[in-house]
Amino acid sequence: MNKILNRKIKPMEKYLMLILVVYIGIVSMTSKNFLTMNTLIDLLKSSSGTLILAAGVLVVLISGGIDVSFTAVAVVAAYCSIRISMMLGIDNLFFIMLVSIILGGIMGAINAIIIQTLKISTFITTLGTSSIFYGFMTTFVGTESISVADKPSALLAFGSARVFNIPTFFILAVLILILTWFILYKTMLGRTIFAIGNSEESASRVGINVFKTKLFVYTYMGVLSGIMGVVYFSEIDLINPISLVGTELMIIAAVVIGGIRLTGGDGTILGAILGVSIIQIFKSTLVFLGLSTSWNDLFIGLILIISVSIISYGERKSNKEKLIFTK
Amino acid sequence: MDTKINGLTKIKNKLLQDTNISILLFIFIITVITLGGILGNRFFSVGNMQSMGYQISEFGFLAIAMSLAMITGGIDLSIVANAGLSGIIAALTMSGAFFPIEGMSEMTVIVISIISAVTCSTLCGLLNGFLIGKISIPPILATLGTMILYTGIGMAITNGESVRVGISSFSKLGSKTFMEIPYIFLLMVLAFIVVGFILEKTKFGREIYMVGENKVALEFSGVNAEKVIMKTYALIGFLVGISAIIIVSRVNSARMGFGDTYQLQAILVAVLGGIDPDGGKGKIMGVALSIVVIQFLQSAFTILQFTPYAKKLIWGILLLLVMTINYLINEKKIFNLKK
Repeated sequence: MNKILNRKIKPMEKYLMLILVVYIGIVSMTSKNFLTMNTLIDLLKSSSGTLILAAGVLVVLISGGIDVSFTAVAVVAAYCSIRISMMLGIDNLFFIMLVSIILGGIMGAINAIIIQTLKISTFITTLGTSSIFYGFMTTFVGTESISVADKPSALLAFGSARVFNIPTFFILAVLILILTWFILYKTMLGRTIFAIGNSEESASRVGINVFKTKLFVYTYMGVLSGIMGVVYFSEIDLINPISLVGTELMIIAAVVIGGIRLTGGDGTILGAILGVSIIQIFKSTLVFLGLSTSWNDLFIGLILIISVSIISYGERKSNKEKLIFTK
Repeated sequence: MDTKINGLTKIKNKLLQDTNISILLFIFIITVITLGGILGNRFFSVGNMQSMGYQISEFGFLAIAMSLAMITGGIDLSIVANAGLSGIIAALTMSGAFFPIEGMSEMTVIVISIISAVTCSTLCGLLNGFLIGKISIPPILATLGTMILYTGIGMAITNGESVRVGISSFSKLGSKTFMEIPYIFLLMVLAFIVVGFILEKTKFGREIYMVGENKVALEFSGVNAEKVIMKTYALIGFLVGISAIIIVSRVNSARMGFGDTYQLQAILVAVLGGIDPDGGKGKIMGVALSIVVIQFLQSAFTILQFTPYAKKLIWGILLLLVMTINYLINEKKIFNLKK
C-alpha cells in the first residue's frame, strides 16, 4: 500500500480503514445479503455522485476555505441544462453535460470573485450565494419535476450504462479523483493551492497570485458540481429540483472525517475516499443490522467529532510544545 | 437656539460614531414607511403585531445565541439541532416517558420539564465549548459535528416522529399576554437587556469581545481564554434551551428538523445587526434592531404570499448586500485614517 501511494499512510487513515474493515465484518456476519455483487454495485453507483463532490470539497478545504453552495450549484446547473436541452430538443448527453459544466463553472467563479473582492468569510459568502442561486432558479425557472416519460433518453441511457458490469458513474468518479490527485500533487497550481491554505499572506509574498488560485479552486468546485448534478439526475428516476439541497454539510463532514487538517493546507485523496465510504456504507447498511436510518446521524456525528478531536488535539499539543500561538 | 444646535450636533456625532446602528435605523424607517404605504392597515394591525410578537420571540433567542458565538470569532451551526433535541426532552418529560407523572400537579411537571430541557441544552452548549476551547477544534467544524450528533440523538430517541405534549396548560403558557403583549415577547426583551448588560458592563462581557479580537493577547494578559469560550457556549446553550421551550409550547409538539430555516436567518440577523463574523465587534442593540427589520419583512412577505423560495432568494441577496455595505464602510474608514 505504501508503495502504491508513494508515501506513508497517515494514522487517521489507518483508524478509518480499521473501522471500515471491522464494520464490514460485523455487517457481513449478521447478514448474508450484504457481501453480494448486487449490493456492492449499488453501493458504487450511489456513492459516485458524493465522491465527485468530495473531490471538489477536498480542494476547497485544502485552500483554507469552505463552500456550502455546491449542492445548490449542482441542482441549478443540471436542472437548467436539462430544461434548456428539452426546450431546444437536443437529446444528447454531452450537450447536457457541457451546459451544466459551464453553468456550474460560472457560479463557482462568482463565488471566488465575491470572496476575493469583499474579503468576507467563505462560509458566509457561499451561504448567501447558495440561497441566491437556488432562489433564482426556483423563482424564475420553476420547480416542476420531470417524470421518467419526459426525461431526455440520453440521461436514461447514461443512468443504466455499465462498462464490464461497473456503473459508468463510478468510472467517471474515479477519473475525476485521479484528475484531482494529479492537479493537487503533480502541478504547480496544486502547490499554490496548498500554499494559500497554509498561509495566504506568505503565499502572496512569494509571488503567488492568490486570486487566480482561488478562482481556480471555486470554479473547479462549480464544474464538478455541474457534472455531479447531471450524474445525480441520471441516477434517480424522477428529476426533482428540490432534492439534494441540504445535504452539503454531510458531504463536507465526510471529507473532514478523512483527516484533513482543519485550518487548510493539508488533506489527502485517500482520506476523502475513506470518509465518503464510511458515510455511504453506514447509510446503506444500518438496515442490515436491524437499526432504522434514524441512527445514521448519531454514528456519523460521533465518528466526525472523534476524528476531528484526535487531529485537533494532536496539533494543539504539538503547538504548545513548540510554543506556537495561533488564534 | 444654541441649545438646539448643540442638540443636533450631539445627535449627529452619535450617528457618525455608530455607523452601523445609524444605517440600520435608516433601513428600519424606510421599511416601515414602505410597508405602511403598500400594505397599510393590513400590516399595522394589533393582530398582525401580536402574531409578529410571537414569532419574533422564539427566533430572538437563537439570534442572540448566534451573535454571541460570532462575537467570540466563531459560529454555532448546532443551535437549531440543539433546540430540537432539548424540545424533545421537554416534550418526552411531559408525556411521562422518563418517569411516571401521574399524581403530580401539572405545574410541577412543567417546571421539571423546563429544567430538564434547559439543562440538556446548556450541556450541549458546554460540549461545544469544550470541543472548541479545550480541544481547539475550529468552531465551524466542532459545531458541524455536534449538529449532526444532536440531530442523531434526537432522531434515534424519537425515530424521526414528532412527540405530542399532553399537558394543555403548557401550550397556554406561550400564548398568554400582558396588556395585549405576549409574555414570551417580554421575556425576549429581558434576554436582550441582560445579555446587553453582560456584554457592555461586566468583566465576562469584555472577555467575550477580547476572545474574538485576539485570543493570544488575552491569554498573555492572564485570562483563561478557554474558560471564557466554554462559558460563552454554555450561555449560548442556555438561550437555545429557552427558545426550545417557547417553540414546543407554541407548536404543542416537538420533532427534529423544526425551524431549519432559522439557521440562515440567525446568521443573517447577526450580520445585519453589525456583528463581525471575524469576531470582536458588534453590539447586541444592533441585533435587536435587525431582528425587528427582518421580522417586519418576513411578515410582509407572508401577507404578500411570497413562496419560501422567493424568501430564500431575498435573504441571500440581503446577506451579501449587508456584507458589501459593511466592507465599503470599513474601507472608507481605513482610507480616512491614512489621510
